[in-house]
Amino acid sequence: MSAPDVATTNPATGPATPAHPSWGALASRLTAQLAFNEDRFFLILAVFIGIFAGLAVVCFRITMEWTRLYLLGSALTPSPWRAFLAPSIAGLVISTLLFTVFRGAAGSGLNQTKAALYISNGYIPVRTVIGKFILASLAIGSGHSLGPEDPSLQIGAGLASAIGTRLNLSRKKLRILAPVGAAAGLAAAFNAPISAVLFVIEEVIGHWSAGILATVVLSAVSSVVTMRLFLGSEPFFRIPPVAVIRWEELLAYSVLGVLGGIASVVFAAAIGWLRPKIKASPSYMQFLYPSIAGLLIGLIAFAGFPQVMGAGYDFMGQAMHNQYTWEVLGILAGLKILATTLSFSSGTPGGMFAPTLFIGAMLGGAVGTVERIFFPHLTGSVGTYALVGMGVLFAGFLRAPITSVFMALEVSGDYTIILPVLVANMFSYLISRKLQPVPALEQITRQDGLYLPALEEEREQEILTVEDAMRSRPAIILESEKTVADAWTVVEATNEEYFLVRRPSNSIAVLSREDLKKLMDGGDLRPLEETQSLSVVPYLHPDEDLQVALRQTTNYPLVPVLSRANVSRILGVISLQDIMETYRKSNQRGPAHEM
Amino acid sequence: MNLLRRDFIIREPLLVGILVLITVLFSALTHSYSQAYDHRRTALGVEWFIRGNRELKNGRPAAAVQDFRTALFYDPTNSGFEMHLADALLQAGQAEQALNYYLGLWQSNPGNGPVNFQLARLYAKNGDNVAAERYFNGAIFGDWPGNPEANRRAASLELINFYLDRGDTGHAESQLMILSDNLPEDPQLRTRVADLYGHVGADQRALAQYRQALQLNSTYLPALVGAGEASIRVGDYHAALTYVSRAVHLDPSNASANQLLAVIQSVLALNPYERGIPEAEKVQRTLRVFDIAGKRLQSCGESTPASAASSIAPFLERWKELMATANGPFLTQHPEEVETLIDYAASAEKLAQDHCGEPTPDDSAVLAIAHEREMEDQ
Repeated sequence: MSAPDVATTNPATGPATPAHPSWGALASRLTAQLAFNEDRFFLILAVFIGIFAGLAVVCFRITMEWTRLYLLGSALTPSPWRAFLAPSIAGLVISTLLFTVFRGAAGSGLNQTKAALYISNGYIPVRTVIGKFILASLAIGSGHSLGPEDPSLQIGAGLASAIGTRLNLSRKKLRILAPVGAAAGLAAAFNAPISAVLFVIEEVIGHWSAGILATVVLSAVSSVVTMRLFLGSEPFFRIPPVAVIRWEELLAYSVLGVLGGIASVVFAAAIGWLRPKIKASPSYMQFLYPSIAGLLIGLIAFAGFPQVMGAGYDFMGQAMHNQYTWEVLGILAGLKILATTLSFSSGTPGGMFAPTLFIGAMLGGAVGTVERIFFPHLTGSVGTYALVGMGVLFAGFLRAPITSVFMALEVSGDYTIILPVLVANMFSYLISRKLQPVPALEQITRQDGLYLPALEEEREQEILTVEDAMRSRPAIILESEKTVADAWTVVEATNEEYFLVRRPSNSIAVLSREDLKKLMDGGDLRPLEETQSLSVVPYLHPDEDLQVALRQTTNYPLVPVLSRANVSRILGVISLQDIMETYRKSNQRGPAHEM
Repeated sequence: MNLLRRDFIIREPLLVGILVLITVLFSALTHSYSQAYDHRRTALGVEWFIRGNRELKNGRPAAAVQDFRTALFYDPTNSGFEMHLADALLQAGQAEQALNYYLGLWQSNPGNGPVNFQLARLYAKNGDNVAAERYFNGAIFGDWPGNPEANRRAASLELINFYLDRGDTGHAESQLMILSDNLPEDPQLRTRVADLYGHVGADQRALAQYRQALQLNSTYLPALVGAGEASIRVGDYHAALTYVSRAVHLDPSNASANQLLAVIQSVLALNPYERGIPEAEKVQRTLRVFDIAGKRLQSCGESTPASAASSIAPFLERWKELMATANGPFLTQHPEEVETLIDYAASAEKLAQDHCGEPTPDDSAVLAIAHEREMEDQ
């Protein structure tokens, strides 16, 4: 049975439309619907990337835990001999694999992902991803003082890159795919989707649009959901309830912020000092450094501080539960800086997120414990201080102030903590910026000879607006109803080359002196509106970015600047020359890049 | 995949289908990997938990803490492990850490009876009465894994003791009234509740509870003694005599019951205010009471140190003065002087109580008579 092919005519709408489209029309519509649409497919792909990244991170974490079980034993605190030997022996294996099979897997995954985004169109070799998975599991599982978040981020980005490459996506999409995967990897590793999304936008992509945000959010959420299916939704830390914050306590949190800022600077300076020295050493020494770093970390553990080994999440939990004295907490913070500097600078694959949080937690715990000794009437628990401390180091060392606030909120699940986090993070961030102008991650990429966009610097750059470049309102504004002769009488005595002409529709056109003279010489006495010499121009507002103005003025000699409150009111004019002059002056005040 | 690059094959449904397939395969692999690890973790968690319990049993709470921590690392969602860790921390003297763990447990399950109970105890110990009261109530109305009624009663009893320690008899009595409404038929428990009623001064309620306990077990000695004491407090010495006599009959070697019986018998023999006794008997009893108090003070004054003797001396002087009027004919003519002698006897016995050691049953009886009279006056 087939539907009758009858057309009906609607007198109101005019043309006849088929009541039931033919099978052929349906088929072609369906084909059109099914045709490959990259934008739409990209969103679906983001979900799959999130799932794959989530699954990969689950496998990565389990592998890391198995490694820890085999190498360090099942006790929370490994026996001294295991602690002494495991990281150094693992260091040798890591070096061998790094020098033979997985050359690209050394170091921080975060910078490598960023480099992939800006240098190789988002391409991350699969071998690097596999190498990162195996070597980071071995390094962290054996007790090297590194975290699993950066490798997770790179694993996610690498998977996304591999999928995008196989699907032959456009270069533009491929470039965005790596950060989408990175957000998914980080979200799964942290069990904190909001922080992951913010971090990737804040530190990797640097800007955002609705499209980017949608894909990053989709991938982060699907990855966290996947991860939770396998590993449960329990947070890393069992955080004691956050106590009500008294205003006096904000002083203590400010002190924590200051200490955190200083600790961030020390940590960044230590890596900045040691890493180039190791990179400049002979290759046989570079081969030995992961093992030497492991040996030194083993010594620290052997000396009675096994807490510095590995990511250290459980010990952060213990610090939050007030298990250590402030002296021990302070020592642990210092030793973790040392151990992480050794591990990271040696080129052992692994990240700095977890160590940063560890140092912050210990520092926060120490400040909280001291506060309780001297001001026992204040209500804040040590756990609250440790949690704020994590955010403080995150803001100071990783220079991600917004992410650091959300991370503390997501990890604690308690809004009460926002005030101390804001106060402490602000101090830490400002002190770190003042004492260490180049952020730690930026410093590392520069040591590697890469000059990736410094997003923090970009955020700080002066944004020039139309207001900065525009000239004042011209003295002569012609009306389009005027005749050519009248207009010429008005402009004849001036030196201006271009004039604005107000048209009846309230739009504005521009007219050159040359065109007007030609009309005059040709004896054209019509009103300006009727001549073909007027060209309508777009307009700008004073607060608009100068880059937008640049695009407009390229095609027009003069662009009017109108009031936002009343678009018929001309505030001034702007030309390409004005913009170039403004940029020139701005560059004289401070160049954008310095080597 | 190369085929996919050809435009005629690149279609979303096909690609999505392939991605779904990969997802299923990847998920299946991850599932089996994580299952294997989960089993290992669970086994390790149990292993360390058993070790922790063993350490706790052997009196090594610090070692148990480490073991429970490790158990919790392998099974972080196991609230049982966390509870044991908190308990072990408490035993190891790390109350603040224990408090943090209990608070964490409470946050994930505010209705957890045992957690509320421990929090209440810790806050009571820290002097945070408001928090302690809140958590005691949480324990009373919370969920208990086993024997909830008994545990809720235990929490309720501890809350009453908490009120009593603070001297808040009003709240203690209210809580007792709630508790006694739901008591099981257990003479021991009823006797305990009756004792607590006695502490808050609700003697009639105490007596009622003792009686209910005795209805359940008429030979329950603490209830008999308690009923006797409560009867004394309400001034019913005859009832007291009945209860305590039964107690002594059941356990003749019970020293405190025997002593109490002697006091009761003395009171019954000495009380000049007993209803229905002739006037002459009242006078005789008054003279005996005066005589007992005076002799105690006299013998005490000779054997006490100088500091105590100085405070006893004026009383002895007064005794000598009163001796002039302490005779039958005078008191018969001046019955209002009975009160003077009894007042003196009460004051003398109170003084002697502070300086002269253990009272005899007769001395205790004089004090009891004086107390009863004060109560009646009030």
